[in-house]
Order: sequence, then structure tokens, then C-alpha cells
Amino acid sequence: MRSRWLYVVLTAALAVAVAVWAIPHLDGDPSTKVWVEGNDLLGISLATHVDRLAAQVLLLAAGVGLLVQIYSTAYLGHHPRYRSYALVIILFLLGMFAVVAADDLFVLLIGWEVMGLCSYLLIGHEWETAIARSGAAKAFLMTRVADLGLLVGILVIGQTYGTYRISEVLAQEPKNATAIGLLLLVAVVGKSAQFPLHTWLPDAMPGPTPITALIHAATMVAAGVYLVARLLPILVASELVMTLLALIAAVTMLLGALFALVQSDLKRALAWSTVSQLAFMFAALSAGDADAGSDHLLSHGAFKALLFLGCGCVMHAVGSSALSAMGGLRLRMPVTFWSMTIGFAALAGVVPTVGFFTKDSVLAALEHGREDGPLPGGVALLVFGIALLTSFITAAYATRLWLLAFLVPAPEGRAEAHEAPRAMTGPIIVLAVATFALSIGQPFHLGIGVLSTVVAAAGIAVVLVAWKRRRDVDLAAPWLISELWLDRPYALWIPATMRSSARAIVDVDRDGIDAYSQGSAGAAQLVSRILALVQSGNVQRYATVIAAGVIVFTAAAVVLA
Amino acid sequence: MPLLYPLVLSAALFGIGLYGVLARRNAVLMLLGVELMLNAVNLNLVAFDAWFADQIHTGQVLTLFTITLAAAEIGLGLAIVLALFRAVRTVDVDEVGAE
Amino acid sequence: MITAALTIPFVVGLALLFLRKLVAGRTAAWLGTVAMTAALVLFALVWEGKDKISGEVDVAWIDPLGARLHLGATALSWPFLLMTAFIGVLCCVWLIADDTAPALVGLVLIISASSLGVFASLDLLLFFVFFELALIPMWFVIAWWGSSTVRSSGHLDDGSGFKNVPAEVTARSAATRFLLFTVTGSALLLVGIVLVARDSRSLQLTEIGGGPLAAAILIVLGFAVKTPLVPLHTWLPDAHSKAPTVGSVLLAAVFLKLGTYGLIITSTLLSESFADVAPYVAGAGVVGIIWSALACYAQDDLKRLIAFSSIGHMGFVALAISTMTDIGIAAAVFGSVAHGLVTGLLFFLSGSLKDRFGTASMRVIGRGLYARTPWLAVAFVFAAVASLGLPGLAGFWGELLSLRAAYEVGDVLSKPYAWTVLGFAVLGVALTTAYFVRAIRLLAQGEPVAQDVDRDLDLRESVVGFALVASIVVLGLAPGLIVGLYDFQPVAVGAVTP
Repeated sequence: MRSRWLYVVLTAALAVAVAVWAIPHLDGDPSTKVWVEGNDLLGISLATHVDRLAAQVLLLAAGVGLLVQIYSTAYLGHHPRYRSYALVIILFLLGMFAVVAADDLFVLLIGWEVMGLCSYLLIGHEWETAIARSGAAKAFLMTRVADLGLLVGILVIGQTYGTYRISEVLAQEPKNATAIGLLLLVAVVGKSAQFPLHTWLPDAMPGPTPITALIHAATMVAAGVYLVARLLPILVASELVMTLLALIAAVTMLLGALFALVQSDLKRALAWSTVSQLAFMFAALSAGDADAGSDHLLSHGAFKALLFLGCGCVMHAVGSSALSAMGGLRLRMPVTFWSMTIGFAALAGVVPTVGFFTKDSVLAALEHGREDGPLPGGVALLVFGIALLTSFITAAYATRLWLLAFLVPAPEGRAEAHEAPRAMTGPIIVLAVATFALSIGQPFHLGIGVLSTVVAAAGIAVVLVAWKRRRDVDLAAPWLISELWLDRPYALWIPATMRSSARAIVDVDRDGIDAYSQGSAGAAQLVSRILALVQSGNVQRYATVIAAGVIVFTAAAVVLA
Repeated sequence: MPLLYPLVLSAALFGIGLYGVLARRNAVLMLLGVELMLNAVNLNLVAFDAWFADQIHTGQVLTLFTITLAAAEIGLGLAIVLALFRAVRTVDVDEVGAE
Repeated sequence: MITAALTIPFVVGLALLFLRKLVAGRTAAWLGTVAMTAALVLFALVWEGKDKISGEVDVAWIDPLGARLHLGATALSWPFLLMTAFIGVLCCVWLIADDTAPALVGLVLIISASSLGVFASLDLLLFFVFFELALIPMWFVIAWWGSSTVRSSGHLDDGSGFKNVPAEVTARSAATRFLLFTVTGSALLLVGIVLVARDSRSLQLTEIGGGPLAAAILIVLGFAVKTPLVPLHTWLPDAHSKAPTVGSVLLAAVFLKLGTYGLIITSTLLSESFADVAPYVAGAGVVGIIWSALACYAQDDLKRLIAFSSIGHMGFVALAISTMTDIGIAAAVFGSVAHGLVTGLLFFLSGSLKDRFGTASMRVIGRGLYARTPWLAVAFVFAAVASLGLPGLAGFWGELLSLRAAYEVGDVLSKPYAWTVLGFAVLGVALTTAYFVRAIRLLAQGEPVAQDVDRDLDLRESVVGFALVASIVVLGLAPGLIVGLYDFQPVAVGAVTP
């Protein structure tokens, strides 16, 4: 028991150190500091740059990380591999801090990939199960393939701007924005699970739930948003990149919300919801509004971590994340119920949770982006419309999940559920409070606010009415339940192609490429067999050859002389 | 008599002898082939001795030497063949070698 | 000092060979460790600075040919020297066990010393002599101490449909194959050296200023066998997988570097004629990256897998060399050294597995090593992650610098060609991830089925593993240690416009 708290203390020390470092910068006073000067050869230096945005994300990561570590003592404390689990979380946090605070792009890349590795290790924490193994492998492969975009993008940035320091890059006029933007887009689409690389996130759900809350909701997947926000000044120079980003965001937010609506598994539904909400952030960024995007990042980080941790409490109680196993938990688990209610309200965008304010900021940014901003007016309007539609669906699925998890009658024969231990309820209470507290000081847009409230209310009402009428909120849409078969290429086609080409390569390697060495061995044997014929051991034959030789040489001598 | 006649005769003898040595399988006949070749050489020596009669006289001496050599050789050779025949009951060189 | 550093392992190695009946294996390995450590320390101390030839020795040798005993450490060779000596030490440490044959230690010492001699030579003929000297002992190592397999269960089918590739290759035939390939390469190399020497009337690396195209082609071919570049690589998987653990490690960590080091010095010495060959080297390198990655994806034998992955890593090095830029050189040296450490670690660990299970077949070893042998599994995953090029570990910087060198094109390759090659190399990185993830999944993860021979790392294995892990992390976090030896500007400002 004591050793478990040791890791909490370690994490807490880390979090406090980061907080002490970050809080002074919350007022928007950016500071760049070079800790280790690069040797001018690679151009890599250990430099940090902390501004308001970075400070906020640092605090979010440190806070959620600490809460998750506390939560895990109860959730996974008895697991035989708790030690490696807790250590990897700490490594993950270090990676996240490196990404957020780095001024040098290579330091950022190191953090970025370390996060990916930790995500891989943690998703695969339950590596005895096939589903966790394949989920982990898929997440790692998809994000790492996408990360190559970042790697090449960094090379292009370095070549274009002559430096790998973000602060120095941003100090220059935007150059080569389209190429850089497209490459970075590949990376963030992968890391933040956007269309068409979105399918890994729902499959990452076999990971322990606290990890999902930390990595796959609050921090790592949001790193893509953070990266775009950080480099937005050079990316806005390219209309193509911003339009593409907006369209990707629009497609992803709608798909994510639709898929979330039909899930039969609470955790997977929340994963789709994360995909959809990340797309909201990208939509704001594509309209050129970094503040709206990052504000939503923070608020989403808080309320989605709350929802996942709450989901963990429910899973702890009923032993499954399937919605069919839940229901009737309102009275059994009051703390979890009320906290998650707040979380769902924030997801749906109900006043006065932080989700309401930040979603409105996103909508306002899009609406504003119609007139000025990097997007063509039509695209901005389209994305605005889709975002409203998504808000509607979001409110609907949040309500549905809330109903199915807590309010519908409990399934027959389930063992009695109990409230989670205090180490688990504590963190979700903190996050629930944060969901309100973060609202303070958020911008308020009256027109948009009214509109979005109406939309959200409509979404909630539709589900509630359906529930009253039919006692059933499931949508029968097989094409949605199968998630539009978008995972086919990654689950079937690419692995099959790789397997068959690998087999072909191995065959060619053995029978084709190796032919020249095998062939030369054969040729040598053939020649030696021919030469061996001469060495018959028959003296008469040797003598014949000698005689013939003498004759030939004599004749030659005579003729030529 | 022109030099050509004995030379042609000698070449023919040498050719027949060579053929006998190379192609015959019977050890006795191979020995005879060797004898033929020796005698072809003898004929050559005598012919050139006669042709260069007033300059060199070594041809006849060498011929006599060769005849003795041939006699010794055939004696030794036939003895070997006899020993061979006693040992393996054949004088066919291929069959002997094949064992 | 360099002379001493070369002589000590040679003498100790020969002594162990001749007195093999008189010493115990454990003692022999300790002796070897001491000798290699001495060499390592001497080579570390010999360094005088990157602009000089450190510890130069120059004595007349064969006057009529112009060959001299000319030794010294340059900025190009010093990292190779240290890495080779380091790996040599670890190999000897690895052999500190009761069942070690003293002669094997002796051969390991001779191989290491010969390789050190290659890197330390400043005379082409001396270089060649050392180059050849390393071969023969390696033949004995593979042929005598190689796995006398018992086919590694090739007739089973692992469900994913992969047949086990190796037909029945015995250690002896693998060794002979290795010898024939490399000796053929060496023959070409020798002809090339003669051409160069005739052209510039000198054998000294410090004096040669170019050579005819034919020489460049021959020398590159010679080194390409050793590196190896596709399609001259077919000796490698057999030799690596059949060799004993230290043999595999020396082959991968040291022998392949003889090839890359040779290519590096060729590119600097024969720069003009090498430029004509460079595009083909780049092409072969990149084909190798993709080719080997796909081949790895279908392997069942872990040692074969690692052997194929070496081809891919050497592909990156070849790509870097072919750009003929300063960054390319730095990338090649870094990539070589990092590969030596990372692949060395991988081979040591697969050797541990082979010691326990008698085979490196992943199917036979079985799943769930995380639970069965936790530290071994963790070390393996670490090595795999380092090998797939995770930033922050040694394997990354070599690849990154290669890609950067290709991106910045240089003067030799044309831009479309270089960027195409770059694209394929990036694809290769992705494929590399795929096969290592597969290997981790097959070995480390999964429902554990305990076997009697499950045994975690013992002391010597831990020492070797820890030393390599530490060096991989140090190089990963401080790439400047090696890159700092080469002067190039951080970035060429404004060199590229879209």
C-alpha cells in the first residue's frame, strides 16, 4: 500500500514543480528559456517556451495526471503490474510536458513519440487479452505512421526557416506554409484521431480506464490540437491547409457524434465523443481562432476526464463497460451519478458548465470566420452548420448515455453495485468542481449562446421524449453501428496486403535474389564436372592428348616460322 | 636416293607405333608400338647419318645405342607384362586399371 | 598507444588459441575482458581532437609497394573504434560462463582486434589486410560454435500462414556462404585498391585524392557485399542466425560497420567518381529498407528477423553516405554506431532466449514473456523500440539525419530522385514499426504459457544489457557526442523554395 502512494507522491512532486513553473505564465507573459544550448551542429537545444496556452495545458496535464495517479491506486492498485503502470504514467507525463513546453521542435518530437510509446504500453497493459494487444498495436502503428508527417514537417520547417526553435520560426514571416501545413496535418490527424485516421481511438479502449481518461481524452490526443494552435501563425497563411483542416474537422465531428449515438458500450461511446470533440477544437483552429480551440481543449480535458473516470467507477461497480450491464445506479452510486451528470451536462453544452462556454466560443469563431479569417466564407458556413448539427447529436447521445447508465432499471440478476472507494470518487469530485470553476472568465456570446442552448435542449428533449414514449433510446442503424466500415482498410486490407507482400518478398529473396549465388555455385560445379572428365586416370588418354599437343605445336611452329 | 623416302617411311612407322601405344589395350601390342617408334627413330638417325655422311658420324653410334636400349627395354617390358599376366590373368590394360 | 591497443587483444587472443587446453573458459573470458577493456581505454585516451589524426604511427613496411604501417584515429574512425572495442568488451563479458570454450574467446579477441585494425588503418593495403584477417576467425566462430540446428521447427504453421523460411542451412554451410560472399567482395575491393594506388601513386588515406570510376565501382561493390546492400545481402540472414550469440553480435555490430566505414571513406577519398555511383547506392539502400522490412514481417526466427532488420538500418546508412554531404557523413557514422549498440543488444537478448529455449523461433519460445521473464522481456521491448527509431534513443538520430540529408539533397543526387528515395525511406520507417510491434506481440505479450526453462536475466546478461541500454539512452539524449565531431551548419537557410 505504501509503495503505491510512493508513485502518487512522485507524480505530485512533478505536478507541483510544473505548477510552480507554469502558474506565473498564466497571465500571458511568455518566456523562452534555453536550458542546454545546442552544439550548433544538429541545431538541437533544450529550450522551453511557456506562454498562456502552454501554461494552461501544462496545468491540465499535471492536474489530470495527478488525479489519475491517485485514482489508479484504488482502481489498479492490486494489479500485479501496478509498478510498471505507474512508472509509465510518469514517463508519459514527462513526454507531455516536453511537448507542451518545448521550444525546440526536436524536443517536441521526442515528447510526442514518447507519449505514443507510453500510450502503446498502457493500452496494452492487459496484454493477456487479444483485444488489448491488437488495440495497442493499432494505436501505435497508426499514430506512428502519422508522426512521420511531423518528422518530415520538422525537416521542412528547419530548412525553410533556418531554425528548429518554434519561437524563432514564429518570429518570421510565414513561408512554405502549404507544404509544412499538410505534413503537420498528417501528424495531428493521426495523433488526435481525426478522419480518416480516427479508428484507433475507439479500439484503444481496452486500456485501463484511468489511462483512457488521461491519455485518450485529456492530454495526448489533445496534443495535436495544441501543436496546431502553437504553429497556427504560420499555418493560417495557407488557405488550402485551413480548408482541409476545416473539412476534416467537419466530417470527423459529425461521424464521431453519430457513432457515439449508437454504441452499446459506454466507454466506446465516450471514445467516439472524444473524437467528435477534438474535431470541434480543430474547427475553431481552422477558423483562425487559437483561443477558442485551446479553451475547448482545456474544458474538454476536464469534463471528459471526469466522464471517463466516472465510467471507471461504474465499471468498477458492475464489472463491465457494456451499457446493458448498467442502469439503476443513481441511488447506488450517488457521487458518481451526480459527478457524471455534471460531466454529461458539460458535454451536451448546458449552462453554466464550462462545456457550454467553450463550445459557444468555437461556434462563435466559426460564425465569425465567415467574414474574416483564413477560411473561404462558404466553408466556414458549412462547418458552422455541421457544428450546430453535431451539438444537437451530442446533446442527444449524452442524454442517452446518462439515461442508460443510471436511470433505466437495473438488469436482472446483477450483484448489488456499490459506490467506488474514496480514492476514486475524490478525483471525480475535483473534476466536477473544475467543470464549473473553469467557466469563470470564459467569454460569453449572447446570440450564439441562445442558439446553442436551443439546439442542445432540442437534442436532450428528443431523447427524453423517445424514452417517455417507447422506453427505448436505441437507434436501429446498422450502417452506423458498423461505423460505416471505415475501419476495414486498417483492420483487414492493409494487414492482408502486408502479409502477402511479406510472404512474396521472402520467397523472392530466397528463390529470386539468391539465384545468382545459387547459380554461380551451380555453374562452378558444372565447370568442374567438365574439367573432371579430362582427369580420367587413363594413361593412354593422357598420352593421346600429349601427342596431339605435340603435333599441334609442331605444326604451328612450322606454319608460323 | 632422296632423303624424303626414308623420312616418310620413318614417319609412317612412328605414326603406326604411336597409334599402337595410344589405342591398343593389349600390353604386348603397346610394347610393340613402342618398338616401332624406336625403330622409326633409328631409321631417321641412319638416314640423316647417310645424308650428312661427310660432316657428322654420330648417327650410327646413336642407332646402335638405341638398339641395345630397345632390346633391354623389350626384355624388361615383356617381363613386366608376364608378371602382370600371372597376377591378374589378363594383359588388357583397361581391365588391369579398372581393378 | 594505438599499436598497444591493437597488440594487446591480438596477443591475448593468440595466446588463448594456442593455450586453449590449459585455461578454463571462465578465466579466458576474464582475460579477454581485461584485454578489450585495455584496448577501449587506450582508444579513448588516444583522442587529440577532431581536426587531427590522433595517435598517428607511421613506419615503413613494404617499400616497393609504398605500403606503410600507418595507423591513427580520425574523426571518422574514432566513433567506430570506441564502439568496436566496447562491443568487444561486452562479448567477452558475455562469455564469462563455465561452458565457454577458451578458443572462442581467443577468436573473438582476434576478430575484434582485426576490426579495430581496419578502423585504425591509414594505409589502404594495411586496411585490406586487417579486413581479410577478420574473416577467417569468423568462419571458425560460425562453423564450429554455430547452432547445430535441428531445423527450427520449420514444418509447423503458426496460423498466420508464414512458413519458416530457412531451408536446412547448417552452420557450416552458412559460414562458408558468408566466407565466399565476403571473399569475392574482397577480391573486387583489392582490384579497386590497386587501381586507386596506381592512379594516385600512394596507398595512404591521407594522400589519395581521387581515382578512376572503375575503382570506385569495384570498391563500392566490395563494400556493398559487407554492408550489405540489396541484392548482395543473401549471406547475411543465414550467417547471423546460425552464428553463436557473440558471433551474431560481432557480425552485426562490427562486421557490417567495416562495410559502412569503407563506403564512408570511399565517398570522401574518391569523391568525384563516387558521385557517379552514389545514386545506385542510394537506390540499393532504400530498396533494402523496404525489402528487409517486409521480409522481417514474415520471419519466425527472431535472429533472422534481427538480421533482416540490420539490412534496413544499413540502408539508411547507405542513403546517408550517397548524399555525400557533411550531414550525410554524420548520419552514416551515427547510424552505424547506433545500429551497433541497438542490434548488439537485440542479438544478446535473442542469444539469451536461444540459450534457454534452444531455438530463436518465436513460436517455440511462446508468448507472454512479460510474465515469464519480466526483465528479459522489458529489455527486449526497449531494444525493439530503440531499433524502430523512437526519438530520444540512439536509433532515431541516425535515421533522422539520413532523412535530413536526403531532404537537403546535396550536390550529388537530383532533387526528384532524392525526394522519392526519402519518401520510400519514410515508408520503410513505418514498416519497421510494424514488424517490431508484431514481434513484441508474439513474444512479450500474450497469454503466458510457462515453460521449464523460463529464467530471467542472470548477472552477466544483466551487466551486458545494462551497459548497452545505458549507452543507447546516452547517445539518444546527447546525439551531439558523435554529431559534434563533424562540422556543418545547423540548417542551410533558404536552400529550398516550394
